[in-house]
Amino acid sequence: MLHVQNIEKYYGTKNNVTKALDRVSFTVEDGEFLAIMGASGSGKTTLLNCISTIDTVSAGDILLDGVSVSNLPAAELARFRRERLGFVFQDFNLLDTLTIEENIGLALTLGHGDAGAVQGRVREVAGKLGITDILGKFPYQVSGGQKQRAACARAMVAGQSLLLADEPTGALDSRASKNLLEIMTEMNRSMGATILMVTHDAYSASYAKRVLFLKDGRVFNEILRGNRGRSVFYHEILDVLAALGGDVSDVL
Amino acid sequence: MSVTYFELSARNAKRQARDYLVYFATVVLAAALLCAFNGLLLSGEVQTLSKSMNMMPLMLGMASAVVVCVFGWLVSYATGFMLSRRSRELGTYLLIGLENKQVARLFFLENLAVGGCALALGLVLGDVLYQALRAILLALFGIPYQFTLALSLPAVALTAVYFALIYLFALGRSRRRIRKMNIHGLIYFEKQNQGAVIRSGKGRRWVFAASVVLAAAGTVLLMSGSGELGLTGAGCVIVGLYGFFISFASGVPAFFDRRPARKYKGVNLLVFRTLTAKLATMGVLMATISMIFTATLMAEGTGLVLRGLFMGRMSEKACFDLYIGMGEPERDRSVYLDYIEAHIPVEEDVFYQVYNSPDDQFMAYLKETNNYYSFYEQDPILRWSDYAALRSIAGYPPVELGEGQYLIHCISALEKDARGYTRPISLGGITLEPGGVHTEHLLQSGVTGQGHGYILVVPDRAAEGLSVHHLAYAAKTAEPVPYEDFYNLTVLMDQVWENTGRADQINTEASEKDELASQTALTVFPLFYLALALTMTAAAILTIQQLSESERYRRQFALLQKLGMDRRDMARALGRQFVLYYALPAVPPVLIGVPFILNLAKVPEPGVMVGLRSPAAITAFSLALFFLVYGLYILMAYTSLRRNVLPQDR
Repeated sequence: MLHVQNIEKYYGTKNNVTKALDRVSFTVEDGEFLAIMGASGSGKTTLLNCISTIDTVSAGDILLDGVSVSNLPAAELARFRRERLGFVFQDFNLLDTLTIEENIGLALTLGHGDAGAVQGRVREVAGKLGITDILGKFPYQVSGGQKQRAACARAMVAGQSLLLADEPTGALDSRASKNLLEIMTEMNRSMGATILMVTHDAYSASYAKRVLFLKDGRVFNEILRGNRGRSVFYHEILDVLAALGGDVSDVL
Repeated sequence: MSVTYFELSARNAKRQARDYLVYFATVVLAAALLCAFNGLLLSGEVQTLSKSMNMMPLMLGMASAVVVCVFGWLVSYATGFMLSRRSRELGTYLLIGLENKQVARLFFLENLAVGGCALALGLVLGDVLYQALRAILLALFGIPYQFTLALSLPAVALTAVYFALIYLFALGRSRRRIRKMNIHGLIYFEKQNQGAVIRSGKGRRWVFAASVVLAAAGTVLLMSGSGELGLTGAGCVIVGLYGFFISFASGVPAFFDRRPARKYKGVNLLVFRTLTAKLATMGVLMATISMIFTATLMAEGTGLVLRGLFMGRMSEKACFDLYIGMGEPERDRSVYLDYIEAHIPVEEDVFYQVYNSPDDQFMAYLKETNNYYSFYEQDPILRWSDYAALRSIAGYPPVELGEGQYLIHCISALEKDARGYTRPISLGGITLEPGGVHTEHLLQSGVTGQGHGYILVVPDRAAEGLSVHHLAYAAKTAEPVPYEDFYNLTVLMDQVWENTGRADQINTEASEKDELASQTALTVFPLFYLALALTMTAAAILTIQQLSESERYRRQFALLQKLGMDRRDMARALGRQFVLYYALPAVPPVLIGVPFILNLAKVPEPGVMVGLRSPAAITAFSLALFFLVYGLYILMAYTSLRRNVLPQDR
C-alpha cells in the first residue's frame, strides 16, 4: 500500500543545513498496523508530515497505492488527503464549535459528497466505535478518550485507506490509552484499516504488528511481533529502545 | 528596577499598538475628531459667521458629551478585552514575583502610553480635520477659505481633558480588576468565558419570534410622527434588538439540526457553527452594536433630510435678491420703498398685485389628483407683464404667452398634475386655453408669495377687475442685500404688524443663504459628528472581536488543510463567515433605518424634497455614508484575517 523510497529531508539555510530524514525506506502492507518509534528529534514527525503530504521531501519518493505523493500538484493534494488519509492527533484536534457528530461528519463534507447521507454514515461509524450516545455533545462536554475515539471515527468515516496517528495516546490517562489502542487494534483487525502510528511510548507501540525505530533521521531497527504475545513484544521494544540510547523516560 | 519596569511598559505598549492596530487607529481618529470639533466649538471666527451661530458651541458641546461617552465605552471595552486576552501574561508577572499593584501599574502605564501616542497623533490629524471642517463651514457661508495652521491651545487642552477622562475611567476599572485577581484567576481567566457556549431551548425560539415582531412594531411606531408613540417605538426596537441577538444563536443550530442535508452541504456547517459560537458569547454586544448602527443611520438620514429641507426651502425663498410680500391689499407701500430707495441700490424692480380668480377650479383639480392644501380660497392670478418682469429679475429666460392662453407656474412637485390639466379658464368674459407650465423657483410658499405652490399667469386685460389678494415687491439689487438692511426692513415689518395687525414677509437671497448655512452648521454638523463617532466605535469593537479570533481560526484552518479541505473552500468559508459576521449587526439597522428615513423625508411640504433631495436619494446617501465608514473597517479586518488565517499551500 505505502512505499517510502529513500526519502531525505533537509531543513535550514545554505550555511546551516539540518538533515531530518536520511535515506529512509520502508513499506506498509495493506491492513498492516505499523508503529514508528524514536526519541525526540529522531525524525518521526517529519516522516509523518511527509507521508501525510503536509511537508515535501528533499529527495526520494513516497507512493501510496502506486501514486507518487511527492509530485502531486497543490490542487490534487487536498483531494488526496481527504480521500486517502485519516488523521488522529495527540491533542485530538476536534473543532470545539462543532458537536461530535459534526466533527466526524466534517470529513465527509469536505469532499462535497452527498450531504443527505452524512448523518447516516456518521452514526454507522460511531456505532462501531461506541460513541453513539455522545454524538450530540460538544468536545468540551466529553472525556479525552471519547474525543480520541471521535477523532478515529473522523479518520475513517470517509473510507480513507491509511490512518496516520501522531502520538494518539499522548494526552490520555492509562485507562483511556488502553481503551483507544484496543479500538485501533479492532479497527485494524475487523475493519481492515491500515494504521501508521508514530509514538515514543513503548506500551502503545506494543499494540502494532511491526515497529520501526528511527534514530537521527535513519531507520535504526525493525522488529516484528509475529505470533508473540503483546507483553513479550513490549519487552522486546524496550530492549531495542535501550540499545537505541533513548531517554530513560522513554524506556521506563 | 524602574528602568526595566518602564522599558517593559514601553515594549508592551508598542506590541499593543501593533496587535490592535485597528483599535489604535480608531483612538487616533477619535482624538482627531474631538480635537477638530473642539476647534470649531472654541473658534471665535465661527461665531462671527452669523448671528445664529452663537448656538454652535452649545450644539457641539452636547454632541461632544455624547461622543466622549461613546469613546469612553470603546476604550473601556477594548482595555478590558485586552486584559482578558493577556491575563495569562499578567499572571506570569505575578508568578515571578511582581505585586498586584505593580502589575496594575504596568498595565496602566502601557495603556497610558498608547493613549498618549494616540492623542499626540490625533492632535496633528485633528488640526488637518479642523481645517477641512472650517473650509466646509466657510464654503457654506460663501466666505473664501484661507489656510491658517493654528489650532487653538484651548481646543488642544479640552481634547486632552476629554482623553484623560476617557482613559482614567477605563484604566480605573482595569486597575481594580487586576488588584483583586490572584495568580490562578489571571492565568485561567481566559477559561472563564468558556463552558456552556452553545445553548438552546424552545424558550429562546419564542424570544426570537417575539423580538422580530417587537422590532417591526417599534419601527412602525417610530414613523408615527407622535413623540410619545415614537419613544415607545424606540423602546420596542431596543428590546427587540437585544431579544433578537440573544436568541439568534440558538435559533440557527435548531434550524440546521432539523435539516441535516443542508447542514452538511458545502461549507455551511463551518460557517454557521463559527458564527453561532461567536454570537452565543457576544449576543448582548452585537445587539448594542446593532442599536448604535441604527442610531447612526437615523442620525445620518435625519441630517440629510434636514439639510435637504433647508436647501429646498431656501431655493424657493432665495430666488429674488429682495422680495417683500404685503398682506394688505390697500396700504401705503412707501414704508418699505422709501427705505429701499435710500439705502439699497436697485437695478430692476417691480411692484405688483397677486389677484384672486373668481373660482378655485384648478385648486379643486389639484385637491383631487394630489394631496394638495392651500391658504388661498381661490386660484391666485398674476398678470403677464408682472410675471415677465419677475422672470427677468430672477434671471430666468423669457417665455412666450400665446394669444388667448394662460400659463401655470408651479413648484416641480405639481408639474405633472399641471401638465395634465387641459381645461380652459374664464376671467371677465375672456376664455383662456392652457399655454404651458413653468417650474422655476418663484417664491411660491407662504401667504404672500406667488400663490401656494402654483399661480396662473394671464394676459393683463384678463386680470382687470379681479380682487387683489396681496401686494408684492421684487427687486434685483446691485449687490447682495447686507444683513443690516435686511434687519432694518424686518424692523419696519414688525412696526407694520404692530400698527395694522397684518403680517408681511421679507426675503433676501443673502439672508436665506445665511440661514441655510447656520441651520446646516447647527444641526447637520453635530449629527454627522455623532454618527461618525458611533460607527467608528461600533465597527472598531466588532473588528477587535474578529481579529482576536485570528489565532483560533488559524489553528482551525491548519487542521482543515490537513484533513484535505481545498484552499478555495477555506477562503469561501472564511469569506462567508466574515460577511455574515459583519452583515448581521447591520441588517436590522438597515431594515429599521430605511423606512424611517424614507418616511421622514416625506414629511416636509411638497416640492421641497425633490431631485437629489428626494426620499430615495437621501436614503441612498445615508446608506452610502454609513457603509463607507463601516466598509473601511471591514476591509481592514478582512485583509488582516485572510493574511493571518489561511494556510499557504505547501
